[in-house]
Amino acid sequence: MPRETFQQELDRLVEEVLELGREIESCLGTMVQALETHDTEVASRELGVDARYKERGAEIDEECLVLQARQAPVARDLRLVYTVQAVTNHLVRAGTLCEHICRSISETADAERDSDLETTLLEMSHGARDLFRRGLDIFEARDIDRARDLEAADDKVDLLYSEAMNLAVNPDKEGIGSPEWRIRAALTVHYLERIADHGVDIGACAVFLVTGERIESAMRQYRDRNLDQYDD
Amino acid sequence: MMDPKETTREHDLDRDQANEPEPRWREVNQRSPENHAAEADTELAMSVENLNMYYGSFKALQDVSMIIRRNKVTALIGPSGCGKSTFIRGLNRMHEIVPGARVEGKVLLEGENIYASEVDPVRVRRKVGMVFQKPNPFPTMSVYDNVIAGIRLGRKHKKSELDEIVEKTLRQAALWNEVKSKLKVGGTALSGGQQQRLCIARTLAIEPEVILMDEPASALDPVSTQKIEDAMEELKKRYTVVIVTHNMQQAARISDYTGFFYIENMGDPGKLWEFDETDKIFSSPSRKETEDYVTGRFG
Repeated sequence: MPRETFQQELDRLVEEVLELGREIESCLGTMVQALETHDTEVASRELGVDARYKERGAEIDEECLVLQARQAPVARDLRLVYTVQAVTNHLVRAGTLCEHICRSISETADAERDSDLETTLLEMSHGARDLFRRGLDIFEARDIDRARDLEAADDKVDLLYSEAMNLAVNPDKEGIGSPEWRIRAALTVHYLERIADHGVDIGACAVFLVTGERIESAMRQYRDRNLDQYDD
Repeated sequence: MMDPKETTREHDLDRDQANEPEPRWREVNQRSPENHAAEADTELAMSVENLNMYYGSFKALQDVSMIIRRNKVTALIGPSGCGKSTFIRGLNRMHEIVPGARVEGKVLLEGENIYASEVDPVRVRRKVGMVFQKPNPFPTMSVYDNVIAGIRLGRKHKKSELDEIVEKTLRQAALWNEVKSKLKVGGTALSGGQQQRLCIARTLAIEPEVILMDEPASALDPVSTQKIEDAMEELKKRYTVVIVTHNMQQAARISDYTGFFYIENMGDPGKLWEFDETDKIFSSPSRKETEDYVTGRFG
């Protein structure tokens, strides 16, 4: 097949993204573990990873730029380069949020906690990690039929988000935790929700890569078509 | 009490539709030829219906149907020998100049079949002009005479009228500023790129409806190519352009619609494999062969 070198460069690019993705996935695993065990040592293992992720992200971006300049990719190649850049962005951002959470854990180790809020938060952390992993799996396997399941799973995380925020704002009278912990917990809830969204978006990127169609616009077109039928 | 959901993300909008059937990405992605035909009716320059083209007993092109829109650039791409040049020659009855060549099907220009028995091919060629791969100015004529060579064959024009036509068409071909002081020099004294633009001006002087270009920039350097492409941008304000090109990036840059011609097996006739908006062909074409070709994975 012609353009073998170009194909190798594209394959290498995807490998790099997946490598970075798996590393961040493992970082998320560590974060969940630290949340469960309140182990500051585990949490502090991930402090500083953010800078490394950003650097790797910038390298991948650079490679995409050079590939575009030298190879003028079109069609599926263009979609791949574009998708690689978009996915990398989601990965790096998720990695940054994960580091924030680990920092928060390590700095509030001895703080007094609200057990209800903490339970919700833990459940949310599992949901966010799973969504991220599933998004990455879908991107790796280009299995777009599974991408739509992500939305439903994200609904669950969003529900937990509402619950956690309500608990944060309207605590019970007793055992409400220290003010600092409450604020950190609220931020963590927000970060987890964002991580879950990045997972969903990575899945949506895979849909674009395979079909050239934006998942949102496909949804919109589908809905518009239904509305037209009602008008008739 | 605050409602934290209000602060959360955009696609919450989709929640109410959670129970709706799934979006059908692949179907949404496809556009049917019928839709093309319906939307294009008013802006039609030419329309080709079930065209078969032959050289003797060899069928070079099979069952091509295509709509050519007014004031748009339509690019034709595809591997060598797939029938692009044959097709473009079928649009102004140049194909039949080759001994043994014949055509089946219809090519409509302003609603009239150019292959109808009463139609004069010369009249067709005045309405559908052609610019060739190699610049071919008349060697014994000046720049000025080259431009008006075609209209000299028709009715008489006043000198002032001719001057006006020469300036207007040379401007449209983006050549005027370069040659206005040497209108009397021989046409072949110009550079290759200038000669090609001179040929474009010569075609424009006849005031055709449609301009066919068969790889007009393939023998030119990048700067001349860019000038031809700029000229084309100008041209489509007044004319309809159909261009055959092997330069994929050129098709992507200048055209509004792209047709991909393809032969499945050696010796088979060429077919119009995919036809769509250029943006679509170069971002997510519908057929695998088109994608393989535009990404350079072909063969």
